[in-house]
Amino acid sequence: MNAGQKSARRIAASNGPISRDTVCFSCLHRLTHPSRRNASTAAALAETPSAPTQQPRHPNPPVTTAKAPRKAYQLLASPVLSRPPLLTRDLTSFEKAYYLYQKRLNERLALPFTRYFYYKKGTPGDAEWKRKIKVRETPARDIGVYAAYGDEGWNDEVLVGDRTAERESVVEALVRDAEGKAIIDEEVVGDENKNGLAVAGDAKTGEGQRRDLTKVEVERPVERVTEADRANDMRSLSRKMDRTLYLLVKNREGRWRFPQDRVYGRENLHQAAERILVQGFGIDMNTWIVGNHPIGHHQMNYTSGGAPAPRLAKITPNRLVSTSRDRAEYEQEEYGEKVFFMKGRMMTGQADIAKNEYGDSEFRWLVKEEVEEVVTGGYWKSVKDILAER
Amino acid sequence: MALLQEVTSTFLRRFKAPPASLHRIWASQCRHASTEAVAQETDELEESSFLQGEGPAQQAIERFDPAGVAKRRNRRLPPSRYQFRSPRYYRGPLHPHQPPRPSEPSSREFAPGPFSLPRLEQTYHDTLASDYMVLAYAHLPPGQTAFKKGERLRRWEGDSPYFKNRPLRGPRGGDTLRLLRKPVTFRNVPQLQRVTVHTMSSDAINSGAALHVSGMVLQAITNVRAEAHEVKKSVAGFGVRAGMYLSLTCELKGEDMYHFLSKLVDVVMPKMKDWPGVKGSSGDFSGNIALGLKAEEVALFPEVEVNYDMYPPKLIPGCHIMIHTTATTDQDARLLLTQIGIPFFGKLVH
Repeated sequence: MNAGQKSARRIAASNGPISRDTVCFSCLHRLTHPSRRNASTAAALAETPSAPTQQPRHPNPPVTTAKAPRKAYQLLASPVLSRPPLLTRDLTSFEKAYYLYQKRLNERLALPFTRYFYYKKGTPGDAEWKRKIKVRETPARDIGVYAAYGDEGWNDEVLVGDRTAERESVVEALVRDAEGKAIIDEEVVGDENKNGLAVAGDAKTGEGQRRDLTKVEVERPVERVTEADRANDMRSLSRKMDRTLYLLVKNREGRWRFPQDRVYGRENLHQAAERILVQGFGIDMNTWIVGNHPIGHHQMNYTSGGAPAPRLAKITPNRLVSTSRDRAEYEQEEYGEKVFFMKGRMMTGQADIAKNEYGDSEFRWLVKEEVEEVVTGGYWKSVKDILAER
Repeated sequence: MALLQEVTSTFLRRFKAPPASLHRIWASQCRHASTEAVAQETDELEESSFLQGEGPAQQAIERFDPAGVAKRRNRRLPPSRYQFRSPRYYRGPLHPHQPPRPSEPSSREFAPGPFSLPRLEQTYHDTLASDYMVLAYAHLPPGQTAFKKGERLRRWEGDSPYFKNRPLRGPRGGDTLRLLRKPVTFRNVPQLQRVTVHTMSSDAINSGAALHVSGMVLQAITNVRAEAHEVKKSVAGFGVRAGMYLSLTCELKGEDMYHFLSKLVDVVMPKMKDWPGVKGSSGDFSGNIALGLKAEEVALFPEVEVNYDMYPPKLIPGCHIMIHTTATTDQDARLLLTQIGIPFFGKLVH
């Protein structure tokens, strides 16, 4: 900040009167209001006369040895288990319009479709193709009715409010194509007596007509919005399939947190995270802890009325950690908690709160915004930068 | 006179200090750590009639029908008024007719742009990149300095005074320096850069049809027109003369690349019979991995399978697929490809 002020002053002095064209708004304000003084400016002015002869700082300074007696903290590992997004995100209206326009421009520039390379002459597939192309005028199935080399090739932009680019229209068009129907319903030739399904008088018009002999059952794509979304079931893994879901639990104090537990014996953070998932939610989860090191940390000091208030903790050996049994139950005075978050990915399975050994009452799979709502402020500050936006 | 006064006053205003009320606006625009979450996107934009103004009336929207108007018109419009071709040659920056940007549809170099947002690209940016960063992190304990590589270009050491400013010598044992591996940070995560699909057919020595078929197959698989390459040197043993066109390559970038790799990993690889994976020794020490597909495996691509009978028998070629990444070492490239879903087998050679 010091350097900025100095150079701004230099520029201002050299170019004559201070003008908004030579100096930026904020610097201009600072220069024209020199009376504003605070501790930092006083210190800066005191520093500038002496030439800086400080030693270059160590890029990775060591932890300085404490002079006071060492304080113990409760060391906790906390797996941040996430289910990555299973679906692509919805396209914005601009993206849909852009892609549709680019596809239509491609139709105008690409070479014509070579029908006989894909459909042999005289086969039913060929007849079906000829019938469909008559209606939609283009080989592409997701750009609506558009003839690129026809008389109306110039009319490649769709009008405001057109639904051709919407996902529903594209799905509908593809499903109709798979069922053998034309992209839009054409007028059926026939007479009133036979409900319009009879063939016309001359053979030629009747030739291209399609008759519903057998109904082709085409599997429609599964909906993006699932039952869990509609019911807003926060325990379900099928909710919000296009977002990352994080596993949170309500601990015995009633606070929503990522599952966490003390690190016992000589186990490392990675092993502790795996053990916590098993002890917290049972073995029916197929998970993977990414990397052996934490992705974030949170520190909470025990205080009462501003002063440190250490708590006496009794550490008993854990049944799943063999090295914790080397030492019998002991007590330790702890000045706070240090939680280290480990990244975990969920593949298959589901959490089972009945198998929980920590007294957690319930679990939820939440999106980043929902985590912010349920979690306390200090915890959120430590956690918000390690959660994915989508 | 009034205009001159206006101009002068505007000019003079620029030399005065900004009014005090503006300071408050400036201070409120300053973002501190305690500022609220970012407002909606449209709130940050300048006020404009496009956002705030009303669109055309509903009646006007319903009546708008350019295609209908064109159909009802009896007379022909003069072509000169509506047809435009951009200039063929660039005549300099001062010429009145400037060629449009290649991204403009009216440009001669226009290539229709992306048609979709590939699933693999989204997966990479949402899931794979952050996992990669976690996996590739190397912790430096406090108090330790990072290992600094020695001089890569060696100095001339000795008594001679001429050694002082002599150009530095190359590495021992060769001429070229190996790529330096920079630590992986959020700005530096290895990404897929491009894919090259290559095929060479020795049948093309005698028949031109073989090369055409290979080109059609490559075009169908990759959505990119294949480029043919000449043989550079005649080799009598293979029966090959310089100048013969025997091989084809396709360069895939961006959307095409992601679609091709998705198809390869999700459709073709699971169907390949008795395929153990990509060889562990594959790699050029610069972060590019190559694999090969046989003719029957190329036929598993959906674009080839759909009209398999149309291709002459035994003329569907095999191909080499080279995946170029922005990684600088083989291990980094292999980690990225494993995340995408390509299996490796055998001893991994770095």
